[in-house]
Amino acid sequence: MAAYIQARNVNLSFRPANRTPVRALDGFDIEVQEGEFLSIVGPSGCGKSTFLNVVLGLLKPDSGEVLIHGNKIAGPGSDRAMVFQEFGLLPWRTVQHNIELGLELKRAPSAKRGAIAERLIGLVGLTGFESHYPHELSGGMKQRVGLARALATDPDVLLMDEPFAALDAQTRDLMQTELLRIWREARKTVLFVTHQIDEAIYLSDRVMVMSKRPGHAKKAFTIALPRPREYEMRVTPKFNELKLEIWNALKDEIAV
Amino acid sequence: MATQPSVLSGFIGRHRNAVLGGAAVALFFAAWQAIFLVVPFNPLFITKPSLIAAGLLDLVESGDLFHDLAVSAVPFFLGLFGAVVIGVPVGMVMGRRVRIGYALDPLMTVFYASPLVALAPLLVIFFGVGLPGKTIIVFSLAVFPFVFNACAGVRAVDHLLVNVVRSLGGRERDVYLKILLPSVLPYIIAGARIAVGRALIGVLVGEFFAASEGIGYAITRFADIFAVDRMFACILTVMVIAIALTEGIRWAERTAFPWRFGQ
Repeated sequence: MAAYIQARNVNLSFRPANRTPVRALDGFDIEVQEGEFLSIVGPSGCGKSTFLNVVLGLLKPDSGEVLIHGNKIAGPGSDRAMVFQEFGLLPWRTVQHNIELGLELKRAPSAKRGAIAERLIGLVGLTGFESHYPHELSGGMKQRVGLARALATDPDVLLMDEPFAALDAQTRDLMQTELLRIWREARKTVLFVTHQIDEAIYLSDRVMVMSKRPGHAKKAFTIALPRPREYEMRVTPKFNELKLEIWNALKDEIAV
Repeated sequence: MATQPSVLSGFIGRHRNAVLGGAAVALFFAAWQAIFLVVPFNPLFITKPSLIAAGLLDLVESGDLFHDLAVSAVPFFLGLFGAVVIGVPVGMVMGRRVRIGYALDPLMTVFYASPLVALAPLLVIFFGVGLPGKTIIVFSLAVFPFVFNACAGVRAVDHLLVNVVRSLGGRERDVYLKILLPSVLPYIIAGARIAVGRALIGVLVGEFFAASEGIGYAITRFADIFAVDRMFACILTVMVIAIALTEGIRWAERTAFPWRFGQ
């Protein structure tokens, strides 16, 4: 079976005006199966987020290509949606209208938008907060809105760029469990970028370690832990074994 | 009776800033009135608050004041409206399109920084006395705060939000309408505060140069006939209107954008 997402030899450099170009991705290869939860971990600035933006269609690689279902990505499309680290909620819109944004841009009729938003507000556990503005929400609630907004257009692929990095540690743990519950119901292919090895293992079917910049895929680890996953799983020997293996692959790439 | 002082001090405590400001204004007028007890008073060149109040009452009763204000209001609001309609889109495009911004910036800065009222006589020659000339003067003074603030607002926009819209399939039009316009609204309101002051200057200057009615004309006419009390009555009226407009905009800013102040 052909992979659902295929990145082949992706190269990308940033060329800031009047400065030397920065190579962000260097021959990046990856394959993701349909319905798979794949995490990418790597040192800061290794090009993890850059790769997500290529898949999202906001950045064009200098060479190489990314295919989804055999079709080359040429720009943003409704088969993909991103959950951003800094939430990216429109401060002048209520929870409900933030979630409806993507549907509005696709010119969906208002009744349909309302029905979808209502269902997703229930799914992410924000019932009762429909008319709240982002500044009235906690960080965890903001990211629930971000997740619901990404799910609203019913994409096949969910791209998550360190979505819980801006949250405190306890909220992050809760949101990870929430994400697994939502993923079980929504059944999307997920590309998840994170710094945290724990988080990557707990959530994923596979964890990909990236090299330092210019980033390429270094090594992939299959996470053969049963699902549904419980919080207690994080203290099992198997979990810690995986954590150590991944850390060993990652630590050479980290410059202090 | 015993509770009376505490009610008063409670009121003062709650509105301390307003009480201080009001007291200063009252003191200013009292001092103005009192100084002529020691300084000789000549009504040809100077006036005092009691005479101004009488003059004001006179103008209100005859209906002249309201007539002049109504005449001046038309070019004031037309010019301001034109300034918003032209200035905001121009500023937003300057902010969004880097090259257009660099191209127009020096030109706009020259017009904004220079005393455009110096061109008022020329504008009167071009557009005549009366409504068109005054409206053009108001417009040319009021448009630049909108241009520069809209431009600054677009440049300060959270780029993440632009990416959100683009990633969800939004086109450039959607970026303007769904992200840029709501983001610059607070900047436009702030610009309006500056523009209102400049628009008032525009109306007055326009009417000083060539007009047969309007509040600016009334001020020059009363000055010409040495009716200093009524001249000051008109000036004070304009001041009060200016304060009311600016404070009204300030209030609108706070209530319309709770996400900017409610954090």
